[in-house]
Amino acid sequence: MRHFRKLSMPYLIWCIIFILIPLVLIVLYAFTTVGNHVISLNFSLANFAKINDPTYIRVFIKSFELGVITTIICFIGGYPLAFIISRQKESVQDLLILLVTVPTWINMLLRTYAWMNILADNGIINGLLSRLGLGQVTMMYTNFSVVLGMVCNFMPFMIIPIHTSLSKMDGSLIEAAMDLGANRLQTFRMVIFRLSMPGVINGVVMVFLMAISSFVIPKLLGGGQFVLIGNLIESQFISIGDWNFGSAISTILAVLILIAMRLMKSMDLKEAEAN
Amino acid sequence: MRKQTGILSKLYIAACFAFFYLPIVVTVIFSFNSSKSLSRFSGFSMRWYASLLGNGEIVKAVYVSVTIAILATVISTVLGTMTAIGLSRQRKVLRDAILGMNDIPILNPDIVTAISWMLLFSSMGLQKGYLTMLLAHIGFCTPFVITSVYPKVRSLDPNLANAAMDLGATPAQALFRVIIPMIRPGIFAGALLAFTMSFDDFVISYFVTGNGVKNISIVVYNMTKRINPTINALSTIVIAVIFAILLVMSLLPKKAVSEGKVSSRSGVRGGKIRKWIAACVVIVIVAGLSALMYSGANAQPAVLRVYNAGEYVEPALLDQFQEEYNCTVIYETFESNEMMYTKLQAGDEYDILVPSDYMIERLIREDYLQPVDWSLIENKDAINPDIMNLSYDPGNVYSVPYFWGSVGILYDTTVVDEKDLEDGWNLLQNPKYAGNLYMYDSERDSFMVALKALGYSMNTSDEKEIREAYDWLIRQRDNMKPIYAGDDAMDNMIAGNKAISVTYSGDATYAISENEDLDYFQPEEGTNLWYDAMVITKNCENVELAHAFMDFMLREESAELNTLFIGYTTSVESVYEKMQEEDFEGIEAYVPRVGHPNDEIFAYQDAQTKKLYAELWTKVKAQ
Repeated sequence: MRHFRKLSMPYLIWCIIFILIPLVLIVLYAFTTVGNHVISLNFSLANFAKINDPTYIRVFIKSFELGVITTIICFIGGYPLAFIISRQKESVQDLLILLVTVPTWINMLLRTYAWMNILADNGIINGLLSRLGLGQVTMMYTNFSVVLGMVCNFMPFMIIPIHTSLSKMDGSLIEAAMDLGANRLQTFRMVIFRLSMPGVINGVVMVFLMAISSFVIPKLLGGGQFVLIGNLIESQFISIGDWNFGSAISTILAVLILIAMRLMKSMDLKEAEAN
Repeated sequence: MRKQTGILSKLYIAACFAFFYLPIVVTVIFSFNSSKSLSRFSGFSMRWYASLLGNGEIVKAVYVSVTIAILATVISTVLGTMTAIGLSRQRKVLRDAILGMNDIPILNPDIVTAISWMLLFSSMGLQKGYLTMLLAHIGFCTPFVITSVYPKVRSLDPNLANAAMDLGATPAQALFRVIIPMIRPGIFAGALLAFTMSFDDFVISYFVTGNGVKNISIVVYNMTKRINPTINALSTIVIAVIFAILLVMSLLPKKAVSEGKVSSRSGVRGGKIRKWIAACVVIVIVAGLSALMYSGANAQPAVLRVYNAGEYVEPALLDQFQEEYNCTVIYETFESNEMMYTKLQAGDEYDILVPSDYMIERLIREDYLQPVDWSLIENKDAINPDIMNLSYDPGNVYSVPYFWGSVGILYDTTVVDEKDLEDGWNLLQNPKYAGNLYMYDSERDSFMVALKALGYSMNTSDEKEIREAYDWLIRQRDNMKPIYAGDDAMDNMIAGNKAISVTYSGDATYAISENEDLDYFQPEEGTNLWYDAMVITKNCENVELAHAFMDFMLREESAELNTLFIGYTTSVESVYEKMQEEDFEGIEAYVPRVGHPNDEIFAYQDAQTKKLYAELWTKVKAQ
């Protein structure tokens, strides 16, 4: 069955120009030292050795932690919403999905400023609390504010793919499961959830990647002490100008993420086989 | 299967939407604020809507954002869908290769992708602007389309298309009537993601664009120095337009909508709605292409490319200059000196730059600048003599002063005891104010504070002194729990969220004018005096016009307008004196200290010292 095969050829060429060549460039930077000229390259592992420092390792761990927490919350909050939406009439579904997306069209920086304003010590929530005669709660510059900001920004990217998987599910499968005596919970666990796995994996990967490399939200809602990988890479490229070290960090990040995604994919395959 | 939605489900939907829309509602409310603040509502006003209409930069940015987002969405959706369908039939090796490469733009942090594409476009010799931005947006949108569409294609029964063709359909018919309708939700989701990604992108757009082509995000990010509700007004309009469209769609006779839907799904009859959508897309494509032509054909004789910090010029002055000299000013802005340097390094060309002292020193050393011909600067004598001939550029061979100031401590007089100010910089170690202060999130400024508190020069390269300063900062971090903030600290200080902040004098002036409880002081141990100045690049094409521009900015009327807009201390002496008597009367921060023996100017740092600073600063912050 070869029809349509050549449809993917233009993108192959595109990939080589826009993905492969830049990637080679970054890897080249990662393995060389400052002051290279095209003619003479000094290959070195110094950039990678430098990362083996408690400070940088802590940055990696903290980023992964926050990324995982954000992803889990987005999943726990987003799945039910995607599920409920997928049970609606077709026209209502489209509308609700659009409504989930619209907030992301407002500039992220502005939405983050709004959160600062809501959570600040003299902000909107604390203003309400003090009017009710309750004490002040410090919310800004904590793990809470950073995770909240990220969840609010990234949850749509969890909901959309899960909804896509759920919306076109063959209803007869569910009826069949029920007919065969499965209760609602069993039907959900054994049929619906399994069938929505591609969407779940898509959403989890997308949210995790965005959370782990974001630097604007942690910077504003967490303060500068929230150094995550994204901040580290950004500062290497911009303020310090050490592109070699920056490239090395991002190469390691990419490898770690690739490993994580392989694991996810193999789970996906197992699911597919189980079905 | 589709049953009535339970009350619990409805509540859950409502709660989720409340969470998503809470920041939007706040954004909308503050678009009607009568003051500049984004955190204190001081009264209803429409002034930001008026300033939005008067701001040509924003209007142009809206045009760029919208056309790029639509074009990138359409092209990447088509490209991504084609690829996804093709992939399912592709040999395994090639399929894995493409899918593997496809993941890379998604998993690389934006900044890495941005820098690598900036280098790619530079090496390809493409003129940066609309086209490069569009290519980059297609580049990062398509992977999202493929990841949404490909699983749908994979779950299709491959025999479907075969069956259609066995029944006499051509491959094209099989594609458009069988496959595409079946994967429609995936395509829809992919297009939605692509549009969202494109519309909100800042980092990649910033590095791949040039020649004055800016999208909304670039304008917003460069406004952070002085963020104001103009952009909230813009967001409110965007929201209003979207909801108006949704409303019209839901009010349309049900039949028309569903007909349009059915036909678009079955692909048999072209519904009215589909025609409308097609027409809109065509219009946008034409508009985008004409923008492309326009940006490519900037053949006007006199063009001046100015690269300045964000919110650092009164826009009316640019208009006036263009009119007077019958030329076009391509005006671009940066967020920090380092960002400007990164773009210069990649080969982007400008005529005039407005960097700070230490960066000017660096640019002179690295041979980026050409000397100023002072005989062409008629208003030379208007410049305050106190700020001429300084260490960063002795004799002002290369630079014409623009604005200047100091760094000091902004404090809340209702919280901070006047007596404690005698401690100078060590006020920032006073346990009374633990948890109540902002440090400036920049390694140089923070080390300056520590070095000065210890009585050292802030330009030291002695590792022992730097390590001592590091210990000072660690002690401060552990005992005082400061927040390392950027320009957002100003809004928080005005709102009274914290009591102390390390601040630039110009920002302090603005904060004090917004909140009378605040005051500013410069510690006796000495501080950083900073100077921003205009310089001409080596590859400047119209040297005469560049001089005219600098001269124009030094005119008394220009400097006055500019100062009123920016609020910093001007380099023009007569305006400086006038401001002290009028608009900024009684605000000490407007008058930076001159001639204090302990004050210094940042000097160029060698790569070694810079790396040491950076490493130690990361350690201070990443606890």
